[in-house]
Amino acid sequence: MTFDFSVITQNAPLLWQGFLISVYYTVITIVAGMIIGLCVGLAQLTPYRVLRWLGRIYVEFFRNIPLLVILLWTYYALPIFMGLNITKGWAGFVALSCYVGAFYAEILRAGVQSIDPGQTDAATAIGMSYSQRMRRIILPQAFRRMVPPLAGQSIIQMKNTTLLSIITVPDLLYQASYISSFTYRPMEIYTAIGIIYVVVLTPLTLLARRLEKRGGLSL
Amino acid sequence: MKREGSETVLELDGIYKRFGDRPVLRGIDLTVKAGEVVVLIGASGSGKTSLLRCINLLNIPDQGRITIAGEPIFDVEEGGRDRLKLTPRQVNRIRAKTGMVFQQFNLFPHMTALGNVIEGPVIVQGIDRATAEKRGSELLDQMGLADHRHKHPAQLSGGQQQRVAIARALAMNPAVMLFDEPTSALDPELVGEVLKAMLALARSGMTMVVVTHELGFAFEIADRVVFLDEGVVVADGAPKDVLLKPEHPRLKAFVGRFHETADMLRPFLEAAQR
Ligand SMILES: Nc1ncnc2c1ncn2[C@@H]1O[C@H](COP(=O)(O)OP(=O)(O)O)[C@@H](O)[C@H]1O
Ligand SMILES: [Mg+2]
Repeated sequence: MTFDFSVITQNAPLLWQGFLISVYYTVITIVAGMIIGLCVGLAQLTPYRVLRWLGRIYVEFFRNIPLLVILLWTYYALPIFMGLNITKGWAGFVALSCYVGAFYAEILRAGVQSIDPGQTDAATAIGMSYSQRMRRIILPQAFRRMVPPLAGQSIIQMKNTTLLSIITVPDLLYQASYISSFTYRPMEIYTAIGIIYVVVLTPLTLLARRLEKRGGLSL
Repeated sequence: MKREGSETVLELDGIYKRFGDRPVLRGIDLTVKAGEVVVLIGASGSGKTSLLRCINLLNIPDQGRITIAGEPIFDVEEGGRDRLKLTPRQVNRIRAKTGMVFQQFNLFPHMTALGNVIEGPVIVQGIDRATAEKRGSELLDQMGLADHRHKHPAQLSGGQQQRVAIARALAMNPAVMLFDEPTSALDPELVGEVLKAMLALARSGMTMVVVTHELGFAFEIADRVVFLDEGVVVADGAPKDVLLKPEHPRLKAFVGRFHETADMLRPFLEAAQR
Protein backbone atom coordinates (compact mmCIF):
# COMPACT_ATOMS: atom_id res chain seq x y z
CA MET A 1 0.00 0.00 0.00
CA THR A 2 1.52 3.29 -1.04
CA PHE A 3 0.20 6.73 -0.37
CA ASP A 4 -0.56 8.84 -3.39
CA PHE A 5 -1.40 12.34 -2.32
CA SER A 6 -1.81 13.56 -5.86
CA VAL A 7 -5.55 12.87 -5.48
CA ILE A 8 -5.59 15.68 -2.95
CA THR A 9 -3.96 18.25 -5.18
CA GLN A 10 -6.03 17.16 -8.15
CA ASN A 11 -9.26 17.60 -6.20
CA ALA A 12 -8.22 20.63 -4.19
CA PRO A 13 -11.00 22.83 -5.62
CA LEU A 14 -13.67 20.39 -4.39
CA LEU A 15 -12.04 20.20 -0.97
CA TRP A 16 -11.80 23.97 -0.81
CA GLN A 17 -15.49 24.25 -1.65
CA GLY A 18 -16.29 21.73 1.05
CA PHE A 19 -14.10 23.59 3.51
CA LEU A 20 -15.91 26.86 2.80
CA ILE A 21 -19.27 25.15 3.29
CA SER A 22 -18.08 23.76 6.63
CA VAL A 23 -16.86 27.15 7.78
CA TYR A 24 -20.07 28.76 6.54
CA TYR A 25 -22.30 26.40 8.55
CA THR A 26 -20.02 26.68 11.56
CA VAL A 27 -20.30 30.45 11.57
CA ILE A 28 -24.02 30.82 10.90
CA THR A 29 -25.02 28.10 13.36
CA ILE A 30 -22.78 29.63 16.03
CA VAL A 31 -24.40 33.02 15.50
CA ALA A 32 -27.93 31.62 15.51
CA GLY A 33 -27.02 29.33 18.41
CA MET A 34 -25.80 32.29 20.46
CA ILE A 35 -29.07 34.11 19.92
CA ILE A 36 -31.00 30.98 20.92
CA GLY A 37 -28.66 30.42 23.85
CA LEU A 38 -29.13 33.99 25.07
CA CYS A 39 -32.93 33.69 24.96
CA VAL A 40 -33.10 30.20 26.46
CA GLY A 41 -30.42 30.98 29.04
CA LEU A 42 -32.17 34.15 30.18
CA ALA A 43 -35.49 32.30 30.23
CA GLN A 44 -33.94 29.85 32.69
CA LEU A 45 -32.85 32.72 34.91
CA THR A 46 -36.10 34.70 35.08
CA PRO A 47 -38.27 34.76 38.16
CA TYR A 48 -41.14 33.40 36.01
CA ARG A 49 -41.58 29.70 36.64
CA VAL A 50 -43.20 28.92 33.28
CA LEU A 51 -40.34 30.49 31.35
CA ARG A 52 -37.81 28.71 33.52
CA TRP A 53 -39.45 25.38 32.80
CA LEU A 54 -39.63 26.04 29.07
CA GLY A 55 -35.94 26.91 29.06
CA ARG A 56 -35.11 23.82 31.08
CA ILE A 57 -37.12 21.55 28.79
CA TYR A 58 -35.45 23.03 25.71
CA VAL A 59 -31.99 22.45 27.13
CA GLU A 60 -32.62 18.91 28.32
CA PHE A 61 -34.33 18.02 25.03
CA PHE A 62 -31.48 19.10 22.81
CA ARG A 63 -28.70 18.00 25.13
CA ASN A 64 -29.97 14.49 25.56
CA ILE A 65 -30.81 13.55 21.99
CA PRO A 66 -27.85 12.69 19.76
CA LEU A 67 -27.16 15.42 17.26
CA LEU A 68 -27.37 12.93 14.40
CA VAL A 69 -30.89 11.96 15.45
CA ILE A 70 -31.91 15.63 15.65
CA LEU A 71 -30.43 16.25 12.24
CA LEU A 72 -32.13 13.29 10.57
CA TRP A 73 -35.39 14.04 12.29
CA THR A 74 -35.30 17.68 11.18
CA TYR A 75 -34.55 16.64 7.62
CA TYR A 76 -36.97 13.71 7.22
CA ALA A 77 -39.68 14.09 9.85
CA LEU A 78 -40.09 17.82 10.40
CA PRO A 79 -41.26 18.53 6.84
CA ILE A 80 -43.98 15.87 7.21
CA PHE A 81 -45.15 17.20 10.60
CA MET A 82 -45.11 20.81 9.49
CA GLY A 83 -46.36 20.09 6.00
CA LEU A 84 -43.64 22.24 4.50
CA ASN A 85 -40.77 21.69 2.21
CA ILE A 86 -37.46 22.29 3.90
CA THR A 87 -34.17 22.13 2.06
CA LYS A 88 -31.30 20.09 3.43
CA GLY A 89 -29.42 23.34 4.01
CA TRP A 90 -32.18 24.71 6.20
CA ALA A 91 -32.62 21.42 8.01
CA GLY A 92 -28.91 21.35 8.80
CA PHE A 93 -28.91 24.98 9.88
CA VAL A 94 -31.92 24.55 12.17
CA ALA A 95 -30.72 21.32 13.75
CA LEU A 96 -27.16 22.50 14.38
CA SER A 97 -28.26 25.91 15.69
CA CYS A 98 -30.88 24.51 18.05
CA TYR A 99 -28.42 21.92 19.30
CA VAL A 100 -25.54 24.28 20.05
CA GLY A 101 -28.04 26.84 21.40
CA ALA A 102 -28.85 24.43 24.23
CA PHE A 103 -25.19 24.23 25.20
CA TYR A 104 -24.69 27.98 24.96
CA ALA A 105 -27.77 28.45 27.15
CA GLU A 106 -26.19 26.26 29.81
CA ILE A 107 -22.94 28.18 29.59
CA LEU A 108 -24.85 31.44 30.05
CA ARG A 109 -26.82 30.09 32.99
CA ALA A 110 -23.69 28.78 34.69
CA GLY A 111 -21.87 32.05 33.97
CA VAL A 112 -24.62 34.18 35.47
CA GLN A 113 -25.04 31.92 38.48
CA SER A 114 -21.31 32.08 39.15
CA ILE A 115 -21.58 35.82 39.84
CA ASP A 116 -21.56 36.67 43.55
CA PRO A 117 -25.14 37.27 44.78
CA GLY A 118 -23.73 40.37 46.50
CA GLN A 119 -23.62 41.99 43.07
CA THR A 120 -27.35 41.54 42.68
CA ASP A 121 -27.86 42.85 46.22
CA ALA A 122 -25.81 45.97 45.55
CA ALA A 123 -27.52 46.65 42.22
CA THR A 124 -30.95 46.09 43.71
CA ALA A 125 -30.17 48.31 46.67
CA ILE A 126 -29.53 51.31 44.41
CA GLY A 127 -32.94 50.72 42.85
CA MET A 128 -32.02 48.89 39.65
CA SER A 129 -34.70 46.88 37.92
CA TYR A 130 -34.20 43.27 36.88
CA SER A 131 -33.27 44.18 33.32
CA GLN A 132 -30.96 47.01 34.42
CA ARG A 133 -29.20 44.61 36.77
CA MET A 134 -28.77 42.02 34.07
CA ARG A 135 -27.64 44.42 31.39
CA ARG A 136 -25.35 46.63 33.45
CA ILE A 137 -24.02 44.45 36.25
CA ILE A 138 -24.50 40.71 35.86
CA LEU A 139 -24.12 39.95 32.15
CA PRO A 140 -20.98 42.05 31.56
CA GLN A 141 -19.26 40.12 34.34
CA ALA A 142 -20.72 36.78 33.31
CA PHE A 143 -19.74 37.20 29.65
CA ARG A 144 -16.11 37.51 30.60
CA ARG A 145 -16.22 34.22 32.43
CA MET A 146 -18.16 32.63 29.59
CA VAL A 147 -15.56 33.28 26.89
CA PRO A 148 -13.49 30.12 27.49
CA PRO A 149 -16.42 27.67 27.56
CA LEU A 150 -18.04 29.43 24.61
CA ALA A 151 -14.84 29.07 22.63
CA GLY A 152 -14.65 25.40 23.55
CA GLN A 153 -18.23 24.72 22.54
CA SER A 154 -17.75 26.58 19.26
CA ILE A 155 -14.76 24.39 18.40
CA ILE A 156 -16.92 21.32 19.01
CA GLN A 157 -19.52 22.93 16.75
CA MET A 158 -17.10 23.03 13.82
CA LYS A 159 -16.46 19.33 14.25
CA ASN A 160 -20.18 18.65 14.52
CA THR A 161 -20.82 20.21 11.11
CA THR A 162 -19.31 17.02 9.61
CA LEU A 163 -22.65 15.36 10.38
CA LEU A 164 -24.15 17.55 7.66
CA SER A 165 -22.62 15.14 5.15
CA ILE A 166 -25.19 12.54 6.23
CA ILE A 167 -28.00 14.67 4.83
CA THR A 168 -25.85 15.38 1.73
CA VAL A 169 -24.94 18.97 2.49
CA PRO A 170 -21.65 19.25 0.56
CA ASP A 171 -19.36 20.06 3.49
CA LEU A 172 -15.72 19.05 3.73
CA LEU A 173 -16.47 15.50 4.84
CA TYR A 174 -19.11 15.06 2.15
CA GLN A 175 -16.64 16.15 -0.52
CA ALA A 176 -14.12 13.72 0.90
CA SER A 177 -16.45 10.78 0.57
CA TYR A 178 -17.45 11.99 -2.89
CA ILE A 179 -13.84 12.21 -4.04
CA SER A 180 -12.98 8.83 -2.60
CA SER A 181 -15.97 7.31 -4.39
CA PHE A 182 -14.43 7.92 -7.77
CA THR A 183 -10.71 7.92 -6.94
CA TYR A 184 -10.80 4.87 -4.62
CA ARG A 185 -8.28 6.64 -2.38
CA PRO A 186 -10.08 6.92 0.98
CA MET A 187 -6.83 6.58 2.94
CA GLU A 188 -5.21 9.67 1.53
CA ILE A 189 -8.37 11.68 1.43
CA TYR A 190 -9.59 11.04 4.98
CA THR A 191 -6.06 11.55 6.26
CA ALA A 192 -6.02 14.92 4.53
CA ILE A 193 -9.42 15.83 5.99
CA GLY A 194 -8.21 14.95 9.46
CA ILE A 195 -5.12 17.10 8.97
CA ILE A 196 -7.22 20.04 7.79
CA TYR A 197 -9.34 19.93 10.95
CA VAL A 198 -6.27 19.61 13.14
CA VAL A 199 -4.58 22.55 11.42
CA VAL A 200 -7.64 24.78 11.68
CA LEU A 201 -8.81 23.85 15.17
CA THR A 202 -5.58 23.39 17.11
CA PRO A 203 -4.69 27.10 17.18
CA LEU A 204 -8.26 27.89 18.23
CA THR A 205 -8.09 25.27 20.98
CA LEU A 206 -4.84 26.73 22.22
CA LEU A 207 -6.38 30.19 22.22
CA ALA A 208 -9.38 28.90 24.17
CA ARG A 209 -7.07 27.26 26.68
CA ARG A 210 -5.13 30.47 27.13
CA LEU A 211 -8.37 32.37 27.73
CA GLU A 212 -9.33 29.75 30.28
CA LYS A 213 -6.05 30.18 32.14
CA ARG A 214 -6.56 33.90 32.26
CA GLY A 215 -10.07 33.37 33.55
CA GLY A 216 -11.71 34.96 30.56
CA LEU A 217 -11.15 38.23 28.76
CA SER A 218 -10.04 41.08 30.90
CA LEU A 219 -11.59 44.09 29.27
CA MET B 1 -27.35 64.53 66.14
CA LYS B 2 -30.97 63.88 66.90
CA ARG B 3 -33.29 66.77 66.29
CA GLU B 4 -36.17 66.66 68.74
CA GLY B 5 -39.60 66.33 67.21
CA SER B 6 -38.25 65.81 63.73
CA GLU B 7 -40.07 63.63 61.25
CA THR B 8 -39.92 59.88 61.09
CA VAL B 9 -37.73 58.56 58.29
CA LEU B 10 -38.07 54.88 58.89
CA GLU B 11 -40.83 52.96 60.54
CA LEU B 12 -40.97 49.21 61.02
CA ASP B 13 -44.00 47.68 62.57
CA GLY B 14 -44.35 44.04 63.58
CA ILE B 15 -41.82 42.57 61.15
CA TYR B 16 -41.77 38.78 61.01
CA LYS B 17 -39.41 36.77 58.87
CA ARG B 18 -38.66 33.07 58.71
CA PHE B 19 -36.21 31.12 56.59
CA GLY B 20 -37.82 27.74 55.99
CA ASP B 21 -39.31 26.85 59.36
CA ARG B 22 -36.73 28.85 61.27
CA PRO B 23 -38.09 32.15 62.61
CA VAL B 24 -35.40 34.83 62.30
CA LEU B 25 -37.32 38.03 63.07
CA ARG B 26 -40.20 37.80 65.50
CA GLY B 27 -42.15 41.01 65.56
CA ILE B 28 -39.68 43.86 65.22
CA ASP B 29 -40.81 47.44 65.80
CA LEU B 30 -38.33 50.18 65.04
CA THR B 31 -38.71 53.90 64.43
CA VAL B 32 -35.89 56.10 63.21
CA LYS B 33 -36.22 59.85 63.10
CA ALA B 34 -34.51 62.23 60.69
CA GLY B 35 -30.87 62.74 61.62
CA GLU B 36 -30.90 59.94 64.12
CA VAL B 37 -28.18 57.28 64.25
CA VAL B 38 -29.38 53.90 65.46
CA VAL B 39 -26.80 51.20 66.13
CA LEU B 40 -28.00 47.64 65.97
CA ILE B 41 -26.06 45.12 68.05
CA GLY B 42 -26.55 41.47 68.83
CA ALA B 43 -24.85 38.09 68.74
CA SER B 44 -24.05 36.46 65.43
CA GLY B 45 -27.22 34.89 64.03
CA SER B 46 -29.55 37.12 66.04
CA GLY B 47 -31.07 38.51 62.84
CA LYS B 48 -29.28 41.88 62.38
CA THR B 49 -28.48 41.35 58.71
CA SER B 50 -31.92 39.94 58.02
CA LEU B 51 -33.54 42.96 59.62
CA LEU B 52 -31.44 45.42 57.63
CA ARG B 53 -32.18 43.55 54.41
CA CYS B 54 -35.88 43.57 55.18
CA ILE B 55 -35.87 47.36 55.33
CA ASN B 56 -35.13 47.69 51.59
CA LEU B 57 -36.81 44.40 50.76
CA LEU B 58 -33.66 42.55 49.77
CA ASN B 59 -35.34 40.05 52.07
CA ILE B 60 -39.11 39.99 51.87
CA PRO B 61 -40.61 39.80 55.36
CA ASP B 62 -43.52 37.45 55.91
CA GLN B 63 -45.57 40.00 57.75
CA GLY B 64 -45.49 43.57 59.05
CA ARG B 65 -45.34 47.14 57.83
CA ILE B 66 -42.43 49.23 56.56
CA THR B 67 -42.57 52.92 55.74
CA ILE B 68 -39.61 54.80 54.28
CA ALA B 69 -39.63 58.61 54.24
CA GLY B 70 -43.38 58.62 54.55
CA GLU B 71 -43.99 56.09 51.80
CA PRO B 72 -45.22 52.62 52.66
CA ILE B 73 -43.11 50.00 50.86
CA PHE B 74 -44.39 46.91 52.63
CA ASP B 75 -47.66 46.09 54.32
CA VAL B 76 -48.60 42.46 54.68
CA GLU B 77 -51.04 41.37 57.34
CA GLU B 78 -51.06 38.12 59.27
CA GLY B 79 -52.03 35.38 56.86
CA GLY B 80 -50.07 36.99 54.03
CA ARG B 81 -52.52 39.39 52.41
CA ASP B 82 -50.58 42.20 50.70
CA ARG B 83 -52.36 45.50 51.31
CA LEU B 84 -50.13 47.52 48.96
CA LYS B 85 -49.62 45.37 45.89
CA LEU B 86 -46.80 47.60 44.63
CA THR B 87 -45.29 46.97 41.23
CA PRO B 88 -41.56 46.12 41.10
CA ARG B 89 -41.05 49.58 39.65
CA GLN B 90 -42.66 51.26 42.66
CA VAL B 91 -40.67 49.07 45.05
CA ASN B 92 -37.42 50.02 43.28
CA ARG B 93 -38.27 53.70 43.49
CA ILE B 94 -38.96 53.56 47.23
CA ARG B 95 -36.06 51.26 48.10
CA ALA B 96 -33.70 53.71 46.38
CA LYS B 97 -34.49 56.07 49.27
CA THR B 98 -32.30 53.81 51.37
CA GLY B 99 -28.60 53.47 50.77
CA MET B 100 -26.99 50.22 51.77
CA VAL B 101 -23.38 49.43 52.63
CA PHE B 102 -22.47 45.75 52.78
CA GLN B 103 -19.97 43.82 54.83
CA GLN B 104 -18.28 42.59 51.63
CA PHE B 105 -18.41 46.01 49.86
CA ASN B 106 -20.03 44.47 46.75
CA LEU B 107 -18.53 47.05 44.42
CA PHE B 108 -19.05 46.44 40.71
CA PRO B 109 -15.62 45.09 39.70
CA HIS B 110 -15.94 45.95 36.01
CA MET B 111 -16.39 49.67 36.73
CA THR B 112 -14.06 52.31 38.12
CA ALA B 113 -14.67 53.89 41.52
CA LEU B 114 -16.40 56.81 39.83
CA GLY B 115 -18.29 54.41 37.55
CA ASN B 116 -19.62 52.64 40.64
CA VAL B 117 -20.74 55.91 42.18
CA ILE B 118 -22.55 57.30 39.11
CA GLU B 119 -24.18 54.01 38.09
CA GLY B 120 -27.31 54.60 40.17
CA PRO B 121 -27.77 58.28 39.32
CA VAL B 122 -27.26 57.71 35.57
CA ILE B 123 -29.05 54.41 35.06
CA VAL B 124 -31.75 54.54 37.73
CA GLN B 125 -32.40 58.26 38.14
CA GLY B 126 -31.63 59.21 34.53
CA ILE B 127 -29.35 62.09 35.53
CA ASP B 128 -27.01 63.19 32.73
CA ARG B 129 -23.53 61.79 32.89
CA ALA B 130 -21.62 65.05 33.33
CA THR B 131 -23.73 66.16 36.29
CA ALA B 132 -23.50 62.72 37.87
CA GLU B 133 -19.72 62.65 37.43
CA LYS B 134 -19.34 66.06 39.02
CA ARG B 135 -21.37 65.09 42.03
CA GLY B 136 -19.79 61.63 42.15
CA SER B 137 -16.31 63.17 42.22
CA GLU B 138 -17.36 65.42 45.08
CA LEU B 139 -18.59 62.42 47.04
CA LEU B 140 -15.35 60.53 46.40
CA ASP B 141 -13.40 63.61 47.51
CA GLN B 142 -15.48 63.71 50.66
CA MET B 143 -14.53 60.08 51.29
CA GLY B 144 -10.86 60.99 50.83
CA LEU B 145 -10.62 59.18 47.52
CA ALA B 146 -9.93 62.05 45.14
CA ASP B 147 -6.89 60.28 43.67
CA HIS B 148 -8.67 56.98 43.17
CA ARG B 149 -11.60 57.95 40.96
CA HIS B 150 -10.42 56.07 37.92
CA LYS B 151 -9.18 52.95 39.66
CA HIS B 152 -11.03 49.67 39.61
CA PRO B 153 -12.03 48.03 42.89
CA ALA B 154 -9.30 45.39 42.52
CA GLN B 155 -6.72 48.19 42.69
CA LEU B 156 -8.10 49.56 45.97
CA SER B 157 -7.60 48.45 49.56
CA GLY B 158 -10.57 47.14 51.51
CA GLY B 159 -10.93 50.41 53.38
CA GLN B 160 -10.91 52.37 50.14
CA GLN B 161 -13.40 50.00 48.56
CA GLN B 162 -15.76 50.38 51.47
CA ARG B 163 -15.56 54.16 51.23
CA VAL B 164 -16.37 53.94 47.52
CA ALA B 165 -19.35 51.81 48.51
CA ILE B 166 -20.48 54.51 50.93
CA ALA B 167 -20.12 57.14 48.19
CA ARG B 168 -22.10 54.93 45.81
CA ALA B 169 -24.95 54.70 48.29
CA LEU B 170 -24.84 58.43 49.05
CA ALA B 171 -25.00 59.29 45.35
CA MET B 172 -28.67 58.30 45.32
CA ASN B 173 -29.43 60.95 47.97
CA PRO B 174 -30.97 58.42 50.32
CA ALA B 175 -33.18 59.40 53.23
CA VAL B 176 -31.49 56.78 55.38
CA MET B 177 -28.23 54.85 55.18
CA LEU B 178 -28.07 51.20 56.20
CA PHE B 179 -24.69 49.76 57.19
CA ASP B 180 -24.22 46.02 57.72
CA GLU B 181 -20.98 45.43 59.64
CA PRO B 182 -19.09 47.72 57.28
CA THR B 183 -15.72 47.07 58.91
CA SER B 184 -15.96 43.36 59.71
CA ALA B 185 -14.23 42.28 56.49
CA LEU B 186 -11.39 44.79 56.87
CA ASP B 187 -7.85 44.33 58.08
CA PRO B 188 -7.62 45.99 61.53
CA GLU B 189 -5.45 48.85 60.31
CA LEU B 190 -8.10 49.84 57.74
CA VAL B 191 -11.06 49.91 60.12
CA GLY B 192 -10.36 53.42 61.39
CA GLU B 193 -10.64 55.21 58.06
CA VAL B 194 -14.08 53.74 57.40
CA LEU B 195 -15.34 54.49 60.90
CA LYS B 196 -14.08 58.05 60.56
CA ALA B 197 -15.96 58.51 57.30
CA MET B 198 -19.12 57.19 58.94
CA LEU B 199 -18.68 59.47 61.91
CA ALA B 200 -18.36 62.48 59.62
CA LEU B 201 -21.47 61.38 57.79
CA ALA B 202 -23.40 61.09 61.04
CA ARG B 203 -22.23 64.53 62.14
CA SER B 204 -23.45 65.96 58.83
CA GLY B 205 -26.95 64.95 59.87
CA MET B 206 -27.45 61.75 57.86
CA THR B 207 -30.01 59.32 59.22
CA MET B 208 -28.30 55.99 59.76
CA VAL B 209 -28.94 52.44 60.89
CA VAL B 210 -25.64 50.73 61.65
CA VAL B 211 -24.94 47.11 62.47
CA THR B 212 -21.54 46.86 64.13
CA HIS B 213 -19.52 44.90 66.63
CA GLU B 214 -17.32 47.92 67.34
CA LEU B 215 -18.98 48.85 70.61
CA GLY B 216 -16.66 51.77 71.28
CA PHE B 217 -17.64 53.20 67.92
CA ALA B 218 -21.29 52.48 68.69
CA PHE B 219 -20.99 54.45 71.89
CA GLU B 220 -19.44 57.34 70.01
CA ILE B 221 -21.82 57.53 67.06
CA ALA B 222 -25.17 56.29 68.31
CA ASP B 223 -28.16 58.29 69.43
CA ARG B 224 -29.80 54.98 70.22
CA VAL B 225 -28.55 51.44 70.58
CA VAL B 226 -30.87 48.54 69.81
CA PHE B 227 -30.01 45.06 71.01
CA LEU B 228 -31.42 42.20 69.02
CA ASP B 229 -31.66 38.72 70.52
CA GLU B 230 -33.04 35.78 68.55
CA GLY B 231 -35.11 38.03 66.35
CA VAL B 232 -36.55 40.18 69.15
CA VAL B 233 -35.60 43.69 70.26
CA VAL B 234 -34.78 43.29 73.95
CA ALA B 235 -33.21 46.69 74.55
CA ASP B 236 -33.61 50.03 72.84
CA GLY B 237 -32.22 53.17 74.41
CA ALA B 238 -29.44 55.69 74.82
CA PRO B 239 -25.94 54.25 74.37
CA LYS B 240 -24.98 54.89 77.97
CA ASP B 241 -28.02 52.97 79.24
CA VAL B 242 -27.77 50.04 76.86
CA LEU B 243 -23.99 49.68 76.80
CA LEU B 244 -23.00 50.76 80.31
CA LYS B 245 -26.01 49.71 82.39
CA PRO B 246 -27.35 46.63 80.62
CA GLU B 247 -30.30 45.03 82.38
CA HIS B 248 -31.45 42.16 80.22
CA PRO B 249 -29.28 39.10 81.06
CA ARG B 250 -28.50 38.34 77.40
CA LEU B 251 -27.49 41.94 76.80
CA LYS B 252 -25.40 41.90 79.97
CA ALA B 253 -23.54 38.83 78.75
CA PHE B 254 -23.05 40.32 75.29
CA VAL B 255 -21.77 43.67 76.53
CA GLY B 256 -19.80 41.95 79.29
CA ARG B 257 -17.68 40.10 76.76
CA PHE B 258 -16.78 43.44 75.25
CA HIS B 259 -15.90 44.95 78.61
CA GLU B 260 -13.80 41.89 79.39
CA THR B 261 -11.62 42.39 76.32
CA ALA B 262 -11.39 46.06 77.18
CA ASP B 263 -10.32 45.11 80.71
CA MET B 264 -7.77 42.68 79.37
CA LEU B 265 -6.27 45.49 77.34
CA ARG B 266 -6.20 47.97 80.23
CA PRO B 267 -2.88 46.87 81.83
CA PHE B 268 -1.20 47.09 78.43
CA LEU B 269 -2.63 50.51 77.74
CA GLU B 270 -1.56 51.74 81.17
CA ALA B 271 1.89 50.27 80.69
CA ALA B 272 2.15 51.99 77.36
CA GLN B 273 1.22 55.32 78.95
CA ARG B 274 3.82 55.05 81.64
N1 LIG C 1 -30.88 33.39 53.07
C1 LIG C 1 -30.99 32.65 54.20
N2 LIG C 1 -31.50 31.42 54.15
C2 LIG C 1 -31.64 30.69 55.27
N3 LIG C 1 -31.30 31.10 56.49
C3 LIG C 1 -30.78 32.33 56.61
C4 LIG C 1 -30.60 33.18 55.46
N4 LIG C 1 -30.07 34.35 55.88
C5 LIG C 1 -29.93 34.23 57.21
N5 LIG C 1 -30.35 33.04 57.65
C6 LIG C 1 -30.36 32.58 59.05
O1 LIG C 1 -31.02 33.53 59.80
C7 LIG C 1 -30.40 33.72 61.06
C8 LIG C 1 -30.09 35.19 61.25
O2 LIG C 1 -29.08 35.53 60.34
P1 LIG C 1 -28.54 37.00 60.18
O3 LIG C 1 -29.68 37.91 59.97
O4 LIG C 1 -27.50 36.95 59.13
O5 LIG C 1 -27.90 37.26 61.60
P2 LIG C 1 -26.77 38.28 62.03
O6 LIG C 1 -26.59 39.27 60.93
O7 LIG C 1 -27.30 38.89 63.29
O8 LIG C 1 -25.55 37.47 62.29
C9 LIG C 1 -29.18 32.84 61.06
O9 LIG C 1 -29.47 31.68 61.79
C10 LIG C 1 -28.96 32.51 59.62
O10 LIG C 1 -28.42 31.23 59.49
MG1 LIG D 1 -24.88 39.75 59.81
